[in-house]
Amino acid sequence: MAEQEPESTITESVQPEIPTRRVKRIMKLDKDINKVNAEALVVITHATEFFLQFLAEKSALVALEKKRKTIKLEHLRVAVKRHQPTSDFLLDSLPMPAQPSDQQLLKDRAKSRANKKPVPVGTRKIDAFFQKFT
Amino acid sequence: MVDNIGSSSEGFKYNIYAADASIHDSVEDHSTIKEQDRLLPIANVGRIMKQILPPNAKISKEGKETMQECVSEFISFVTGEASDKCHKEKRKTVNGDDICWALGSLGFDDYAESLKRYLHKYREAEGERANHNKSSNNEERD
Repeated sequence: MAEQEPESTITESVQPEIPTRRVKRIMKLDKDINKVNAEALVVITHATEFFLQFLAEKSALVALEKKRKTIKLEHLRVAVKRHQPTSDFLLDSLPMPAQPSDQQLLKDRAKSRANKKPVPVGTRKIDAFFQKFT
Repeated sequence: MVDNIGSSSEGFKYNIYAADASIHDSVEDHSTIKEQDRLLPIANVGRIMKQILPPNAKISKEGKETMQECVSEFISFVTGEASDKCHKEKRKTVNGDDICWALGSLGFDDYAESLKRYLHKYREAEGERANHNKSSNNEERD
């Protein structure tokens, strides 16, 4: 004979980590949405947790591929692109990639300078102009 | 000499804000929507991410904030789909089946399937609880 589970087992032991009140607030931001019953709220909250875990996992994979320990926006973006259903609704909402700062531009230029083959002695280089002022 | 202090009825004005008072009042203008209204708490988001990620993984602040936004989009998107279905079927209240349907129709079939099973158990548990309450209420009325 199957053991009789206490009534509240399923609803209590699988408590969502996300506060349902906040989820409800987010849903209500859309005026077209009328009423949402209690079970719908619980289901969407669980679905949201699944989604969050999924995105986190995929983003971590991307970060790993790029040999990074810290997950960043760009890793998220790639993860979103790779999953069609998510990409369909989310890709356009992601913030634009940050424009490289001047610092970064200078760093990149310095790197490519270092990688170039040495030019013949005496060749005039614009670097000389800038080096005077650094 | 008597100081002419204004009558006390002018003095005090109490502004009482009910916490849950019509959320719609505060969201007419989107720029005034507070982050706490449209995003899930970053602490919860961060915690759930940490649980699933390898221990040495780190998430940038920007990453966590972006996750908050993504997750709110997800909620709005899925609920919107479910709500549209209800409108079409002339129903006012979105229920658990509608959410499961929306998840499936948007391509999140895995979630739809496992949540359908969860929903079934949830309804059973709720049904049992309601029955238990009903019978104990009946006893009390006597």
